Amino acid sequence: MFEIEKGSGGEVSCRGRLDAAQCATAESFLDELEGAITLDFNELEYISSAGLGILLKTQKRLAGSGAGLKIINVNNHIHDVFRYSGFHAIFDIHAKE
Amino acid sequence: MRRDFKRHLDSLAGLYEFSEAIMAEKKLPDGVRFPVHLAMEELFVNMVHYNPTVTTDIEVTVSVDGVVRVSLVDNGGAEFDVTVKREVDTDSPLEERKPGGLGVHLVQNLVDTLEYEYQDGRGEVIFTKGSGTEDV
Repeated sequence: MFEIEKGSGGEVSCRGRLDAAQCATAESFLDELEGAITLDFNELEYISSAGLGILLKTQKRLAGSGAGLKIINVNNHIHDVFRYSGFHAIFDIHAKE
Repeated sequence: MRRDFKRHLDSLAGLYEFSEAIMAEKKLPDGVRFPVHLAMEELFVNMVHYNPTVTTDIEVTVSVDGVVRVSLVDNGGAEFDVTVKREVDTDSPLEERKPGGLGVHLVQNLVDTLEYEYQDGRGEVIFTKGSGTEDV
């Protein structure tokens, strides 16, 4: 199960498991967004390389207008995936406290 | 325990439930379960994407005996040795960054052992991940 929606504070909440079968859902939602976006991963349990590809595509598109993604509340395992993928250099990533 | 899965991304939910049930029964920590799920998905999706004309199911076997051992068998697919280190872009600036190859790169970094065999159209990937009680 994967869910993505805009929260009351303007942040985008992701929940569940972002695997290759769920990427179309994430992609169609993120494609509609503009400007500086905060992705809240507090309830995101899992992401695979397919999800990373969607994040990368979105970040490139937003960077074209001088904005970008900020990703907050990242769990330890997803943090490791970001680290092995070299995403810390191109995303604003904040671990879950 | 073995289960065969249709060669489609819709199989990923069942693949997760299959391996999660086995690892949950053994009370394995998230630090083992997460990389096992990730490696299984990446290897399964590779078999699906790179052999679009093949219609056979993919055979998945999961066992826990000291370590988690996972085997994925692809009958009729092309040879693709996932143990080979390939160039992956993890350093380029954003505008030059390409996502290709990240899946296998992650597998190689997150599992403990990784083997590949290919003979007569049968490809098998076997990986293990420690099942220690520590949350890795």
